[in-house]
Amino acid sequence: MDQIEKRLTKLALKGDQQAFAEIVGLYKDKIYHLGYRMLNNRHEAEDIVQETFLRVFKSMDRYDPNQKFSTWIYRIATNLCIDRLRKRKPVYSLDADMNDQEGLDGYSLIPSDDRTPESELMISETKQLIYDAIESLPVKYKSVMILRYLQDMSLQEISDVLGMPVTTIKTRVHRGREFLRKKLETKF
Amino acid sequence: MDCKLAVSLMHDYLDDDLAKEQNMMLKAHLQSCADCHMRFKELEQTEMALYSLPRHIPTASKELTERILNTLPKHKEPQIWVKWMKRHPAATAAALFLVVMLLSVINVFNQDSQLVVQGNNLDQIVIEGNTVIVPEGNVVSGDLTIENGKAEIFGDVEGNLTVIDGSLYTASTAQISGQVKSVDQALDWIWFKLSNVFSEIAYR
Repeated sequence: MDQIEKRLTKLALKGDQQAFAEIVGLYKDKIYHLGYRMLNNRHEAEDIVQETFLRVFKSMDRYDPNQKFSTWIYRIATNLCIDRLRKRKPVYSLDADMNDQEGLDGYSLIPSDDRTPESELMISETKQLIYDAIESLPVKYKSVMILRYLQDMSLQEISDVLGMPVTTIKTRVHRGREFLRKKLETKF
Repeated sequence: MDCKLAVSLMHDYLDDDLAKEQNMMLKAHLQSCADCHMRFKELEQTEMALYSLPRHIPTASKELTERILNTLPKHKEPQIWVKWMKRHPAATAAALFLVVMLLSVINVFNQDSQLVVQGNNLDQIVIEGNTVIVPEGNVVSGDLTIENGKAEIFGDVEGNLTVIDGSLYTASTAQISGQVKSVDQALDWIWFKLSNVFSEIAYR
C-alpha cells in the first residue's frame, strides 16, 4: 500500500492526471466518511472531499515525501472539517420550522438524496444512538474520537494528523470516552 | 487504590496501554469497589459500541470522482514569455521602463486639452469658448500658436500661424504673412515641440 502510494504521489507530482485520479479513488470514501461523521451532512461531506483533493492537488509541490501521504491528506481534511464546524456556530436545528415559510424546515434546503438517514437507521437503532452521541461531542473531542474509532487510527497517527502531542490525544480520547459513556449510560 | 486513579487506569487499559502490574492492581480494585466495577462495565460497553460501528458507510456518490477531476486546474506549463522574462531580467526591466514612459507621454498629451494661445499682442484677438478669432481689421504682429482650439482668422497675422489639435478657418479677408501649420498627431506634436525648443535655443 505504501509503495503504491509513493509511486502515485511521485507521478501526481509530475502532473499525471491518471495518477491523481487513482489517489482520489483510494481516499475519497475515507475522506467522505470522515466529513460525514464530522459534519453530519452528506452535502457538506462531498464539499469537504472536493475541497480536500483540490488542496492536495494545488499543494502537491509542498508535500514532504518523508511524511506518510495518508497523514497529510487526513490533516488537510480534518482541518477543513474543524474550520467548518467552528464557522457553523450558532447551530441552527434542521428540525426547527423557519419563521417565514410555514412547514418548511432545514431538511428541505438540503439536496434530496435517496439514501435518507432513515434507511441508515434500519441498520440498527443503537448505532444511530451512538452516532448521535458522537455528533453531540465538542469539536476537539469529536475529531479525535472519529479518527480513533471510525478511521481506525492509532494514537500516534492521530497525533501526527492533528499536529499535537500523543499525551494530548490520549487525554482527549479519555474525556471523549467518558462523555460518550455518560450519554449512553441509560441506553445500555 | 484511589477510585480516581482506577478510572485513569481503566482508560489506559482500553487504550491497550497498561503494564501487567497495574493491570493486576486495577483488577483487584474492581473486585472490591462496586462503583468502579459498574463504571468499568459501562466504559467497556461504550468502547465495544464504538468498535461495532461500520467503517465506510455511507460512501460518496459515484459522480464525485469525476466532479473532483473536473474542478482541478489544468497543469500549468509556464508561458514562453514568462520563461523569457525570468532569463532576461535586465531586458524585461528596460522594456517595462519604455512602456511606462510611452504611456506617460501619451497620457500627458491626452490630458492636455486646455486651450493655450501663444503670441505677442494677444489684445488683437477675441476668444469665445474654444474658438480663437482674429477679427477683420485686427493685426497680430509676430507668430501665433493655438493649442486645443479652433482658429478663425478674418484679420492679419504677420508671422507664422500654428494650430495644434484643432481646426483652422481662414476667411477670404485673412492675411497670413508667415507659414501656416496644423499639427494633429502625437508624434507631430512632439516633433513640433522639439523643433521649437531647438529653434529657440538656436535663436537666443
